[in-house]
Amino acid sequence: WKESLMERTVLRQTTNLMQLVYGKSTLKSTTSVAEEQGDGEDELSEDDDFFKPKGEGKKKLSEELDGDNVNVEDCSKLTNHTKLKKWKDQELIESIRDRFVTGDWSKAARRGQDSD
Amino acid sequence: MVKTSYMRLKGSQQFRQRLLLSTLSATPVIIEDIRPDDSWPGLRSHEISFLRLLEKITDDCVVEINETGTKLKYKPGVLMGGKHLMHDCGLSRSIGYFLEPLIVLGLFGKKPLMIRLKGITNDSKDPSVDTFRSTTFHMLKRFGVPSEGLNLKIESRGCPPQGGGEVVLSVPIIQNSLSAVTWIDEGMVKRIRGVTFSTRVSSQFEHSMRHAARGIFNRLLPDVNIETDHKSGPDAGSSPGYGISLVAETTSGCFISADTAVSYSRREDTDDIQDEEQEELTPPVDVGEQIASVLLGEVEQGGVVDSTHQGLLFLLCALCPQDVSKVRVGKLSPYAIETLRHIRDFLGIKFVIMPDPTTETVILKCVGCGLKNLSRKLS
Repeated sequence: WKESLMERTVLRQTTNLMQLVYGKSTLKSTTSVAEEQGDGEDELSEDDDFFKPKGEGKKKLSEELDGDNVNVEDCSKLTNHTKLKKWKDQELIESIRDRFVTGDWSKAARRGQDSD
Repeated sequence: MVKTSYMRLKGSQQFRQRLLLSTLSATPVIIEDIRPDDSWPGLRSHEISFLRLLEKITDDCVVEINETGTKLKYKPGVLMGGKHLMHDCGLSRSIGYFLEPLIVLGLFGKKPLMIRLKGITNDSKDPSVDTFRSTTFHMLKRFGVPSEGLNLKIESRGCPPQGGGEVVLSVPIIQNSLSAVTWIDEGMVKRIRGVTFSTRVSSQFEHSMRHAARGIFNRLLPDVNIETDHKSGPDAGSSPGYGISLVAETTSGCFISADTAVSYSRREDTDDIQDEEQEELTPPVDVGEQIASVLLGEVEQGGVVDSTHQGLLFLLCALCPQDVSKVRVGKLSPYAIETLRHIRDFLGIKFVIMPDPTTETVILKCVGCGLKNLSRKLS
């Protein structure tokens, strides 16, 4: 349940995704990103921190990358498999049932329309 | 645009993306502070190798590196492409590392590209060669890349640490430009395909992986088909290893992939920031379950591509003609975010990024930079 909470907070913050990615914002949460064009190390470290909280622990990350973050490994694949969900769990399986053709088609159709 | 002035960048992050965008936008770059404080400062061997590869496929490009390798000056040349090229990718990163930028660069060449790449075909860090065949190529086709001439032939496989794999990549050139996409319907997963491989180990390993992965999927979907590809003799490279690449196909023609490979770790890598890799290999059953879980995780996110392909997706959107592209992805990966920033820096394109709270996805819109295949015009 913790994870879902985290997800929800992250979602709430997504309203300013634009600023998160591109900076130039005066909002408190993104001030660190604001100057990301002036390519200093510390700003980068801060937004890196900010972007990964869901995937991996904040602290661990900043420790790992502190001072070395402009030299982050160039890797498109997320190789962090530590927080994998237990997909053997029946409930979890049911939760994504509608993403498969064996699920509820009307729900999926609605999902597609909602966002158009 | 800027012809004489160099764009200044720092650090080794997004090395390939930077050089790729530099080449496509004809922007010379200077990259400084490349791992200045490491015990092995400067460029890594795979990065040098990538520069050599750029020299092979372009004409008149200039690469200058300082003594310690911490500073790089790159002036891009004209993308030539060409047949019967050969490149040894080395052993520090897998062939997937080189393929990712290469498939984009190849599209904008003067002639179709055909290149033989040697090295590691499957590892856990980069997308495997199987994933390129099953997923990445389908993505390119969405953007109007002709399917004839787009091919990746796996001649032999190679795992870390010794490699020994060989693939032949062909990339067609695009006649004029890519075509913009509206790609927001991720559809429902209708089937799952995949391939396992094993080199210098018993083919029994593959059956275990397959069985474990199927066990998870079959409760959701009957249509699961995972092939095996056991290599032996000279086709199996020089190191033992096994792995699996899976792809979920949806009703709307999206391909969501996940892959991994297991083998003994590289020795030289240990000074890098890296998880302590245990020399005890993950059992095949666990590998199968793990990668099936990764795939379901990707499906759950609900984008039209998986997190690995987000960066490429945005890049292709940005390279489109001046039409609006609209795509849907799951949670933005750190790599994709960096890609978005570099696209802004090099091509001056900003995406409009809107979260879609009902489905917990993100919708991105942009107007392409209208990159034409200029190299072709010269001919």
